[in-house]
Amino acid sequence: MNMTFELSYEGKKRLVIGGVLAAIAAWIAVDAMAGGAEHWGRVFVRLPLLLTGQGDGWPITGGFALNILLSIASMAVATVLGTLLGISTLAQSPYLRLPAFFIMNFLRNSPWLVLLFAMLFILPFQVEVFGLRIPFPPFVKAVIGLALPTAANLSEVVRGAVQSIHSGQWEAARALGYTTPQIYRHVILPQALRRMIPGWMNLYALLTIATALATVTGIQDVLTILNTSLAMESERVLVYFYLTTLFLFFAYCYPIAIFARRLERAVKGDNI
Amino acid sequence: MKRSEALIEIDNIHKSFGDFEVLKGISLSVNEGEAVCIIGPSGSGKSTVLRCINGLLPIDEGYIRVGNHRVHELRSEKEMRPLRHQVSMVFQQYNLFPHKTALENIMMAPIQVLGHERAEVEDRARKLLEKVRLGNKADAYPGMLSGGQQQRVAIARALAMQPEIILFDEVTAALDPETVKEVLLTIRELVDDGLTCILVTHEMKFAREVADRVCFTDHGLIVENAPPADLFDNPQDPRTREFLGQVL
Repeated sequence: MNMTFELSYEGKKRLVIGGVLAAIAAWIAVDAMAGGAEHWGRVFVRLPLLLTGQGDGWPITGGFALNILLSIASMAVATVLGTLLGISTLAQSPYLRLPAFFIMNFLRNSPWLVLLFAMLFILPFQVEVFGLRIPFPPFVKAVIGLALPTAANLSEVVRGAVQSIHSGQWEAARALGYTTPQIYRHVILPQALRRMIPGWMNLYALLTIATALATVTGIQDVLTILNTSLAMESERVLVYFYLTTLFLFFAYCYPIAIFARRLERAVKGDNI
Repeated sequence: MKRSEALIEIDNIHKSFGDFEVLKGISLSVNEGEAVCIIGPSGSGKSTVLRCINGLLPIDEGYIRVGNHRVHELRSEKEMRPLRHQVSMVFQQYNLFPHKTALENIMMAPIQVLGHERAEVEDRARKLLEKVRLGNKADAYPGMLSGGQQQRVAIARALAMQPEIILFDEVTAALDPETVKEVLLTIRELVDDGLTCILVTHEMKFAREVADRVCFTDHGLIVENAPPADLFDNPQDPRTREFLGQVL
């Protein structure tokens, strides 16, 4: 009897992924028996510190939670800036379009780490507006430093999405008496938004990964904690701490990337 | 300042796209309540004329007056607003807003552009949907409607602006033959109601039945401008005769 198993592409993919996961699990098991278990135990005890910046896990003052907070704050700022920048690069008036184009390209081609360092020195310690003192703590500097390059990259996503809206929509809206800002608000952006979501999510995953760079501003993010509070741990144990930190980023960002890819497929070729 | 009593007056307009001169001195006047059809081979500038009338395309040279608006002198979208109120347009590709329902498509501009009362606009919009025989499709999104239904919603949307003039740009060109009929029926009713209409069309039979006047354009000029009976049965210009010979 001839027994062959025909595997589909999906089936093969699942088999390979399963194999890799099994290999990793096997390595961890072998390593654990060879003394790794003790190191993992150490990581487990210090995990609250890694996650929240406090040994007890409460109150949250830093750690990986701060990276998440930083990514959310930066993304919020970047979304507003990036949308304005993206629309500006499409403006009719060259006085708006050319500076926007220059800013976008400058920021897109700047190393994120250099931008973060630059913000430390460019942004003042605090600003006074109408007698109101607004402080710029390191966290705010980190938010701005990360938001700038993200905004520049997002502006390209916005530009692409806006340009992908059929020109007939502009014509119809103009024929109905809408002004350009109104057309963006009521007709173009509501449609472009859907097409932006996958790109926006991809950027967010990238930004979250880049929040580790913010350690240079001195905030108590997960990397700062690794380098300071945990510096007394033995070198051997630190390997396990770094592996854990890498896994934290992976566990947070990978589902976002997967979800974005799925949305991308769903949005492709749809009319809305 | 009016040069004549016509509602729309176009005098010697020129328009180029890059090196290509689309309009080479078109002149046309349209009286109130008149239905004028523009026919001619593709690329002869028919649609461009319509877009110049409501200011979607700026002209290079010439004079356009619609009612009291001197269109060639309007510069910004804001200045265009009263003109756009007076002149509506219906497009070949419908251009409905796909993220809004049929009813919302009709209600948007009167509320957001003209600042009319929502309740009053909704009432008007529902009546218009009845008028184009789509009263039961108020909550449907454009993607759920057939081409002919979308085009009738687009006509209702144009009417909701309470215009004096409607421009129809090859509104049946993208439709299936069966649905063409329902759209043409709707347009015919508007013409019968006395609305001033300018129609760019390839439907010669419809042009003959509905139009008060038919213009034949070729290479950026109006070659012949006559009542339909004269133009179709007794064309004067050899180019008109050749074109009609091909399409009829």
